[in-house]
Amino acid sequence: MQALDIRNVNKKFPSFELKDVSFQLEKGYIMGFIGVNGAGKTTTIKSILNMTHIDSGEIHILGKSMAEHELELKQEIGFAFGSIDFYTRSKIKTLTDTIKKFYQNWDDQIYSNYMRRFKLDENKKIADLSTGMKVKYSLALALSHGAKLLILDEPTSGLDPASRDDLLDLFQELIAEGEVSILFSTHITSDLEKCADFITFIANGQIVLSGEKEEFKEAYLLVNGSKSQLEQVKDQMISYKTNSFGFTGLIQANDFDPSSGIKAATPSLEDILIYYTKKGENIHG
Amino acid sequence: MVNLIRKDIRLGVHPLFLIMPLLTGALMFIPGWIYFIVILYFCWITIPNMFNQLRSQNDLMFTSMMPVTKRDIVKARIFVIAGLELAHVVVALVFGLISQRLYPDLTYVFFPPNLGFFGLCLAMLAIFNLVFIPMYYKTAYKFGMALLASTVAATLFAGITQWVGIAHSGMNRIFYGTEANSVALQAFILIAGIVIFLAITALAYRIAVKRFLQVEIQ
Repeated sequence: MQALDIRNVNKKFPSFELKDVSFQLEKGYIMGFIGVNGAGKTTTIKSILNMTHIDSGEIHILGKSMAEHELELKQEIGFAFGSIDFYTRSKIKTLTDTIKKFYQNWDDQIYSNYMRRFKLDENKKIADLSTGMKVKYSLALALSHGAKLLILDEPTSGLDPASRDDLLDLFQELIAEGEVSILFSTHITSDLEKCADFITFIANGQIVLSGEKEEFKEAYLLVNGSKSQLEQVKDQMISYKTNSFGFTGLIQANDFDPSSGIKAATPSLEDILIYYTKKGENIHG
Repeated sequence: MVNLIRKDIRLGVHPLFLIMPLLTGALMFIPGWIYFIVILYFCWITIPNMFNQLRSQNDLMFTSMMPVTKRDIVKARIFVIAGLELAHVVVALVFGLISQRLYPDLTYVFFPPNLGFFGLCLAMLAIFNLVFIPMYYKTAYKFGMALLASTVAATLFAGITQWVGIAHSGMNRIFYGTEANSVALQAFILIAGIVIFLAITALAYRIAVKRFLQVEIQ
């Protein structure tokens, strides 16, 4: 079953547009949603949560239409917005007591287990939590109401490397039983190298590619060679940087001719993100 | 809905504003004061503080992620506002009636705190709600202009009715009179005030919902 099925979503703002956004997340997997700042990640997430009115398109969660079953589905969605805080002056205890009333399947036992595991003190105020702790608290809330789909907007931004690693291990553990699926947006691509199964890449409001992580990377090649070699492939390149030795750039794997003698390697996600963002402009380094 | 009201009271509204009706209500014991001000303090103090808190704590985003309808989000908030308004009026009314017994020989320049006066207070709050609530729900987070317009409207209503109450002899008899038929008329004005308050607030709710359904949650 698809945990998340987004088809042909369009939304026009005065200065920005989501164009024909489609991607699917299979139940029990982690999907990394990457793109630079302003690419449309948060807008897409807000569209999924029905916080933005989409102009056209369909959003299905766990097999049901979000437009028709919003309340029922929100019972099954957990969320964490890494960059936004709510009621920071309130104690965790007060916030939890208020939030839990909204959820039919709330389980106090699960909640206290996670609170213990994450070493979260209920008497602390939200403002006193570190960024990582806040994300963990959001996860504890989501898991205590039995969320099947976790939508996390930049949960790892602002975390130190150890906390990031810890959180990524936790994500993998959560999906291990196959019930929970995670969509998480980030611009820190190394996080996805570690834990994502699928990657969806958005640039300028359009999905560039969505697919299994390794296939995603294999769809592109990072090529480098001399300036004379650049002339052979210049027109096929997504973008490239030149320097005194020659050039380095990104090309679609099926546009590349292996007999050209140009060195090619599988790019990292970061390479793909950077070169795609620079599409249409040449960089002289 | 009940959960949303509980959320506002536990997280959104500072406890001070829950006891505010008692604090401002105590001002009813100032002999012969302009008692409209007692009720207007709600518009001047409670509303801006409450909405500032809601905005700074990202309440709109927080609430939108809960499994609740947009309609209920508006309805619950209006219940909280109207509930606080009624608390202010009820406390002021009780204290006002005591105040009248405390100073039986006082000559009131401004409206005496009788039932008729509180009918006017409810009409004033109805005007406040009708301007504030629909204007606020155009964005559901900007409240400055809505607050300015609604407080000006409510204050104007208070000023004009007070002026008419002093200057117009018929109106003066109705609102200042202490004989039996004046008191009966004043009780009737209070009932009319309650009806107006409920009807106008319900209208404000309907307009607000229509507008809020169009809002993009920021």
